Amino acid sequence: MTNQQYDPITSNIIQNSIQAAADEMFAAFRHTAMSAIIYEVLDMGVGITDKNGELASSGAGIPAFAGLLDKSVFCILNKFNKPDDIKPGDIFITNDPYHGGVTHLNDVVLAMPIFLNGEIIAWSANMAHYNDVGGAVPGSMSNEATEIYQEGFILSAIKLFSEGEPIRSVFDILTSNCRMPDFLTGDLWAGIASLRVGESRILEICNKYGKEVFLHAIEEYLDYAEQVSLDAMKELPNGVYKLEEEQDNGQTYKVTVEITDDEFIIDLTENPDQDSGPFNSSRDGTLTICQLAFKGVTSPDKMSNSGTFRPLKVKTRPGSVFDPTFPAAQAIYYELTVRLSDLIVRCIAEQLPKRLPAGNFSSVCGTLFGGIHPDTGRPYVVIEPEIGGWGGSARSDGNSGQFSMMHGETYNCPAEVAEARYGVTVDYLSFHDEDGGAGKYKGGKGVRIDYRIRSDNAWMTISYTRSKFPPWPLEGGCEGSPNYILIVRSDGSTEKYSVISGLTLNTDDIMRIMTGTGAGWGDPLERDLDKLKDDVKNEYVTLEQANKYYDYENRLKKEG
Amino acid sequence: MLRVATDIGGTFTDLVYVTPDGTVNTAKSNTTSGEFEQGVMDVIEASDISPEDFVSFVHGTTIVINAITERKGAKTGLITTEGFRDILEIGRGNRPDFFNLEYEKPKPFVPRYLRRELKERINYKGQVTTPLDLTELPAILDDFRKEGVEAVAICLINSYANPKHEEKILEKIQELWPEVSVVASHQITREWREYERTNTAVLSGYVQPIAHRYLDRLTTRLSEAGMNCTPYIMQSNCGIDTVKSARQIPITMIESGPASGIWGAAALGNLVGEPEIIAIDIGGTTAKCSLITKGEIKLNTDYKVERSDISAGYPAMVPVVDLVEIGNGGGSIAWIDDYQRMHVGPQSAGAEPGPVSYGLGGTEPTHTDAFLALGVINPNYFCGETRTADMEAVDKAMSKLAEKLQVSEQEAAHGIVRLATNNMVNAIKLISVNRGYDPRDFTLMAFGGGGGLNAYALARELNIKKIIIPKESSVFSAWGMLLSDLRRDYLLTQIVDMKEENSELITSSWKKLEKEAVEQYEEEKIDRSRVSFSRLARCRYQNQEHTVEIALPEGDIKAADIKAICDRFHDHYEREYTYRLEAPVELVCYHLIATAEIDKLNPEKHSKTGIKIEDTVKGKREVDFVEQGIHEADIYDGNIFEPGMNLQGPAIIEESGTTIIVPPNFVCKVDDYGNYRLNLIEEGE
Repeated sequence: MTNQQYDPITSNIIQNSIQAAADEMFAAFRHTAMSAIIYEVLDMGVGITDKNGELASSGAGIPAFAGLLDKSVFCILNKFNKPDDIKPGDIFITNDPYHGGVTHLNDVVLAMPIFLNGEIIAWSANMAHYNDVGGAVPGSMSNEATEIYQEGFILSAIKLFSEGEPIRSVFDILTSNCRMPDFLTGDLWAGIASLRVGESRILEICNKYGKEVFLHAIEEYLDYAEQVSLDAMKELPNGVYKLEEEQDNGQTYKVTVEITDDEFIIDLTENPDQDSGPFNSSRDGTLTICQLAFKGVTSPDKMSNSGTFRPLKVKTRPGSVFDPTFPAAQAIYYELTVRLSDLIVRCIAEQLPKRLPAGNFSSVCGTLFGGIHPDTGRPYVVIEPEIGGWGGSARSDGNSGQFSMMHGETYNCPAEVAEARYGVTVDYLSFHDEDGGAGKYKGGKGVRIDYRIRSDNAWMTISYTRSKFPPWPLEGGCEGSPNYILIVRSDGSTEKYSVISGLTLNTDDIMRIMTGTGAGWGDPLERDLDKLKDDVKNEYVTLEQANKYYDYENRLKKEG
Repeated sequence: MLRVATDIGGTFTDLVYVTPDGTVNTAKSNTTSGEFEQGVMDVIEASDISPEDFVSFVHGTTIVINAITERKGAKTGLITTEGFRDILEIGRGNRPDFFNLEYEKPKPFVPRYLRRELKERINYKGQVTTPLDLTELPAILDDFRKEGVEAVAICLINSYANPKHEEKILEKIQELWPEVSVVASHQITREWREYERTNTAVLSGYVQPIAHRYLDRLTTRLSEAGMNCTPYIMQSNCGIDTVKSARQIPITMIESGPASGIWGAAALGNLVGEPEIIAIDIGGTTAKCSLITKGEIKLNTDYKVERSDISAGYPAMVPVVDLVEIGNGGGSIAWIDDYQRMHVGPQSAGAEPGPVSYGLGGTEPTHTDAFLALGVINPNYFCGETRTADMEAVDKAMSKLAEKLQVSEQEAAHGIVRLATNNMVNAIKLISVNRGYDPRDFTLMAFGGGGGLNAYALARELNIKKIIIPKESSVFSAWGMLLSDLRRDYLLTQIVDMKEENSELITSSWKKLEKEAVEQYEEEKIDRSRVSFSRLARCRYQNQEHTVEIALPEGDIKAADIKAICDRFHDHYEREYTYRLEAPVELVCYHLIATAEIDKLNPEKHSKTGIKIEDTVKGKREVDFVEQGIHEADIYDGNIFEPGMNLQGPAIIEESGTTIIVPPNFVCKVDDYGNYRLNLIEEGE
């Protein structure tokens, strides 16, 4: 093979086409999914890997899912390692975080080998959050689970299709172990449609340019991504950065980040033993979040593949919360990983405060509730993350009402859609006025959402963090405000929660979700007075807060 | 007796007029920012025609989109439901630039102090649960006056289900403050999703004063100049509308430019018997493509202004022709990143300095320069002989690029063309294969200045066998306006189970919308007999979100029709998404298209003088067809082509506004209307 056959433009075109294929797979999944958490929250990701499982391109609604699917394919290849174990038309399914499922049982991965002339040349894969996968509670995610068996059916990298034919028994097992079989079926078929899109695009590319040229283009793509990461790391001073942070649950998390010329080593070995409940993140899940944090602090452009993460090394300790051993429960892994991403960013930001923003509300604020729709009589289940405030930075105020760092193209549910679909009433959806986030550059505003329940015997399960320790400031700014939920009962009494399972709600009870305001950056007294006048005029800052944190009226007098 | 279309673009204001014998003439003059109507009067004068002779006048303008993207609209206030003041600022909480920890969220068009709330509430079923309290309104309007507000937008929660409260607020504002521009969301759309609807109302309010002033001045100037016919305004839904209606909801003009080209493609396809079309409009900065099936265009209502990989953009919930736009056109610049990778666009050399070949100081090679370097474009017949290409500068720029990439100059030029082709192919796939359509079943219609240059490569990549390059394709969009009907789209979200017992409810909803449409047309003296309807139902499987739009029959929907409607839904759904479900079907949104025929252009077949194809040959030159090699190509003068002429590639046809490539394996035939019809020579023929 001469160099001429590997001309750079052709490689470039193939790489663009692989990315376009991932975008198409993403669009196909989104358009056909049955569940709001897929089509609206976009709690899903798609990807094309090379024949060995190295991720070549991805499309994701959630950045945390961009670098996830390689781990599933590695696991499948490991398990099906004999000749003819994998045949054209096979589709694999896995959700077991101990066997390629990566996160929690709700996140189901589908993967399909792409064959050309009897040989695997790539994989098409996707993952999405399925509403219910069985287990002890509706929605499958319980704060009380003590082993993974209580969190739903476990699929440890098995076949769903064999040589192009759906395996009926597997489908039957899945639907009969799930509370919402129609949703499961709809979402599965949407995922399958998306895999097929990936397969046909990749085959088109191979047929046009030839297998060798295609494989070479992928290899070059991974090298290119690695180079982008290495160059970005040059902007970060070499050194060893350490951080310890106390958590809402009383534990302390520790991280050490070591940056050298060509390595970015995250050491998580000194963390608490695994939780007896579901607050654990599998080794693969931990790795994925380290990748997200690494990308955020190095080169936050959109392009990423396995090459991007070659400089990253992650150390964990088996038996710890970031590397639990079987059969530890893991349903609420996401609150652990959102903590972890925040921990890594904070560790570096405190050393390089001009480069990174102050802390944000930093919780998925996963809110699950359900009951009977008062008008249709059909059961409904809501599973949604919430939006909150981001931290100020050396350049600007933080954003208000955004999803956490774990999210990306995640859309909140419009009040009008929620009212029709769930039969609840949304009484309020706007910013709140709680103290927090003052600074030369303010933290963005947190949000208050009031859901009024319209039928008896509804239930609610939530698991919020950053409820006791609010978002962290930088350079003399003020802390943000905490995340919590206030239940306002129909008789006017109130109850405050951040972690609760299966709380009963009745007609006219209000769930008041309060998400944190982001932390401030820099001394509030240094905030530009014109900006402050604007804040007061717009009521982003109340007059009382302006005087308390910014010495507003005195500064106005001085100015004359 | 002239039919006239004018189109205001960023740089030029174009005019196309058709004389009674069907001759198409064109003129251009500079766009006059700030006083756009002057540019229109200038271009009329430049064409030496008199408004007194106009029998129809259609106008397209970018003033709406420009006012938004340049932030030059009116100071706007918003009135919304208590508890929802920050909907406009929250948006949907999404972050497309998802690794970026310092993402910049789009700033709302109404600052928080001008977002005010009223006590009221309607539930999703349209029932009033808290009566409207207008006590605060006068004080709010006083504040607005003090702050210099020029436009007020109203959007209340669930107003899609019942607009009564919005209507009352609207009425009260008009009574208390008659001078102010005001718009309520239900006047624009009755679709659900409060952020999108609120933002749409806000954007419409924001551009309303500017659009009013502009449209009023334009109509005054035209009638002063003696024009007697009714002027019409091009809309984003591919229809035209009256000035009165465009004044009321100017936001519907947001994509009027691209819409007219796509409409032209559909109309021309129908005229020449090619109803299945992939249309691509390749201009100086962007390429826009759209799919036409059975001669019909497709609309979407999820348009977003300034949406990109790094911004969530601003939604405008108005019917906009379904198109994908990418930053690739003749002026797109080729550049090399830090990793030795070449890209083409989205940066464009624009009109100034323009491509390197303009010789106006451009140094970065563009797509156009690559075609010059390959011998495709004639340097001595450049921009319709209005310029001579600066080939020395082109060579210099190309060799610089080649050096950086460490390839030959020829490979560098090939690279530009191949990358641009690949970008356009990916865009076309988004509107075709991605939605379950196979491009091989379609004819490619390529227009705009770059249509004829790029069509064959796109066709080859997509395995398309038939290409149409319209005559005068550089002003095709303006021509398309002359073929439009009056068109209004009415959308209403109302969720109904597709069951036999609901057939009466479904019928009555359609009838209500139809009545509303007829009344609005009759108000403007457009007779009922000229109005025709088509009904599109947006349906989905129960609990799903995304819908598939299917056509429904006219008249009463009977219980017995429901099954057939559901079957049609299942078929459409499976075609688009590869599977079908047993699940129940829901109707989510009624989409009524109400068109009214006006006396529009009826294109005439071109006459012949009997000139022979040999007489149109200008010479021969060596042309590099990129992936099809270098060939000695015949060069033809397209300006004097006549219907019935045939030629075979390799050839280049030079027309005053464009160049058309006919590659070695294609034949080209001129059809009755002067269009170039390129067909692949099948192997063995």
